[in-house]
Amino acid sequence: MTDDNFTKVAEVGDIPEGEGEGYEIDGIEIAVFNTGDDYYAISNRCSHQRAPLCKAGDEKINAEDTWTGERGGLNAEACTVSCPWHLWEWDLETGEHEASGQRIGTFDCTVDGEDILVRI
Amino acid sequence: MESSVKRLDRDAEVPEEAFEDEIVDLDFHVNPLEDELLTYVEDDRALDKLTTEFGPTPVMGKWDAAYGIKEGQEGLFTQGRAKYAEDVHEACENIAVDEPIVNAGINNLNLQHHPVLKNAVCQAANDYMLDHFADEGMYTSAMIPKWDPDYAVEEIERMADEDNIVAAYSWFDPKVPWGNEQFDPVFETLVENDMPLLLHGSLAYWPQHSYIGDDMLTWTEVLGFDWPIHAMVTVVNMIMRGVFDKYPDLNVVIQEGGHWWVPFLRYRMDEFYEMHPEDVQITPRKMDSGETYLERAPSDYLRDNFYLCTQPFALPRRAGDAENLLDLSLADEMFIYSSDWPHQTLDPPTWFYTSRAFDEHTRERILSGNAREILDI
Ligand code: FES
Repeated sequence: MTDDNFTKVAEVGDIPEGEGEGYEIDGIEIAVFNTGDDYYAISNRCSHQRAPLCKAGDEKINAEDTWTGERGGLNAEACTVSCPWHLWEWDLETGEHEASGQRIGTFDCTVDGEDILVRI
Repeated sequence: MESSVKRLDRDAEVPEEAFEDEIVDLDFHVNPLEDELLTYVEDDRALDKLTTEFGPTPVMGKWDAAYGIKEGQEGLFTQGRAKYAEDVHEACENIAVDEPIVNAGINNLNLQHHPVLKNAVCQAANDYMLDHFADEGMYTSAMIPKWDPDYAVEEIERMADEDNIVAAYSWFDPKVPWGNEQFDPVFETLVENDMPLLLHGSLAYWPQHSYIGDDMLTWTEVLGFDWPIHAMVTVVNMIMRGVFDKYPDLNVVIQEGGHWWVPFLRYRMDEFYEMHPEDVQITPRKMDSGETYLERAPSDYLRDNFYLCTQPFALPRRAGDAENLLDLSLADEMFIYSSDWPHQTLDPPTWFYTSRAFDEHTRERILSGNAREILDI
């Protein structure tokens, strides 16, 4: 951990553009998403039924026989991620799900050289 | 102080304790591809007609789930599409399900108009399930046609002889309810073969082409409330028409028809029946048997002959409220866990581990005990 409470979770290149990865930092589960322009860190657990958000965008079983191919996923333009289970859409900046008014934690996330850092 | 950081396990999607418990999932949908399904149709004449440009299920049901989901993302295959046993194993590993009870999930079949062609699809679906699931050691429910009780009996008898066929799968709907006496031969065959009857909501019967149905514009009304209403009506119809006095060993499972209505039915059925019991004697089964009344209180049949799949659970957030509701709903005797994989209302077993409402006993009964008992597995 750095002095300002940032912790290194990964290196640039570890999280492909358009995808997310899950980490546990001191017992707290966090999903980090790469929108291409930026990295965002949000609580890994959807407040609806606690699905792991880091799995958003995973390919479905027999994806070629379904319509959308992926379970939820990152929307870089809107800066949201939709949950892999029931597709609740979470704002990566505010942690808000607009329809329910529920909010989950978001965390500062920054790149320092080759390191991706998250502040807990 | 150094922070501890670790990458999360990519595969486990539910709490660790779920992997330690035994979990039976009574509503896991398989979706065969149409072309492959049709290779199982035995009758060439039926096959010829089923492979016209219209396909095996030409009549479309109203399907507006996609309007209810952002970006119109699909609802039927939110998680994927299982065609074979290995697909089901892969899906179950992530959500800690040990024993999925699979069905062919052709829930719009009864909307189709041609009984002979529908029977052919039913036969094909059952043979497909035998080949790809039951013969692979996976517990399977056999589809039986509600529109043709004679053929339903034939299918039950044919399938009951096969290994790993543990239940019959059909639908509740707003047409002839299951209390009607035409279904007696079906009940008799089920009891003889010790198989429960699973009644799932049917895509064929979204409320439509009726004043009230056509004015339901939201998925919350259509799936959330229309199905439970028909489920309740089906349950009460079977009880009040004496099905369970004639077939006390028949077990019926309602799938996706809601479950928190148990307290409402328990108290209301008994109240009405005790005040107005004189019409029971002129229902057809009682006319036959000469009995005047039901043998037991209506709520007793609900408790003993019915089971309810839990998905979507919609558990109250406050554990105390949830616990009271579970008690009033006789959850430890009547509820059976179901995931409804791969649909949008998927329920992984997370509820049972994140809410303090469940004691060890209730959790075990819902997750495996009740299902094991009626499926005899
Ligand atoms: S668990 Fe995330 S939307 Fe349901």
